Amino acid sequence: MIESQRHSYHLVDPSPWPISGSLGALATTVGGVMYMHPFQGGATLLSLGLIFILYTMFVWWRDVLRESTLEGHHTKAVQLGPRYGSILFIVSEVMFLFAFFWASSHSSLAPTVEIGGIWPPKGIGVLDPWEIPFLNTPILPSSGAAVTWAHHAILAGKEKRAVYALVATVSLALVSTGFQGMEYYQAPPTISDSIYGSTFFLATGFHGFHVIIGTLFLIICGIRQYLGQMTKEHHVGFEAAAWYWHFVDVVRLFPFVSIYWWGGI
Amino acid sequence: MAASMARSGLRSASMLLRRGANSKAAAPTKRSFSASAQDDARETAKWEKITYAGIVTCTILAIYNLSKGHPHHEENPPYSYLHIRNKEFPWGPDGLFETKHHADH
Repeated sequence: MIESQRHSYHLVDPSPWPISGSLGALATTVGGVMYMHPFQGGATLLSLGLIFILYTMFVWWRDVLRESTLEGHHTKAVQLGPRYGSILFIVSEVMFLFAFFWASSHSSLAPTVEIGGIWPPKGIGVLDPWEIPFLNTPILPSSGAAVTWAHHAILAGKEKRAVYALVATVSLALVSTGFQGMEYYQAPPTISDSIYGSTFFLATGFHGFHVIIGTLFLIICGIRQYLGQMTKEHHVGFEAAAWYWHFVDVVRLFPFVSIYWWGGI
Repeated sequence: MAASMARSGLRSASMLLRRGANSKAAAPTKRSFSASAQDDARETAKWEKITYAGIVTCTILAIYNLSKGHPHHEENPPYSYLHIRNKEFPWGPDGLFETKHHADH
């Protein structure tokens, strides 16, 4: 296999997952529009599309793991691809969140007369930033410390400690998501309460969505670490998860300061 | 036989060269912050302690917060920019995280 090729790159075998992912995306977008308008069958098509996309992600990444861990195609040169790809993806996410912060600042720095000329708008029951938001703010960095613990454990070859560290990371993340859900449920404003609600829930909501995705990524890393699929020298998937997690963690601080704290006074 | 050995020798030499040229990009194998397994073990223990310190802090904060209880928030005055419903949600009158009694507005 890899011994018979005279280069260190990976020419992948043909695969149906790109087209299945595209069809899933088509079903999701068309179904989503149908659901919101509303047309018959919109909800069904939307759910089918989402299931298809999730299935494609599962089998595509399963194939990547098969090609790397089991078939040995991921030489150092090949590893650069996912490494740089992860970094660029995280940069694109930073840009995405930057847009929401811009939106929030646009509305909050010069509040319009329609909402009372003040920020937060008149009538909005703002959450006390020193309750749940402040509680969540150390939980995520502790989770970040745990993932760093896990990384050093992997580098030191302490495989079992690494699994414990990843369990700690994921547990902290799940606790923080639980608290955030509780906060959303109890919060007096909703997304339809003026531009405050829109910007608040979009920014915190997308951050929360990224936390959930990062948690899933870390769970998969934990399972793989438990199964012994990572080595001291070769654990690009874990590093990508850890970078993503640190991004989520650092980003958390920005909404806390600007939206919860500054935006509430 | 000798030719194939020479060829494979050439290949591994060229790969070494390429790896050398890529050494800045292949930084993961050259970790400048740790030189040995003992450094890794020390770092691991350090971050483990930091994690535990974090967990203790968060538990204390959580207990403090959850023991406070939540005051009941009064109804907001019906400003036009609150509770916007230019079009009903596809799933009904309530928001996703809203409590049911807002439905009768």
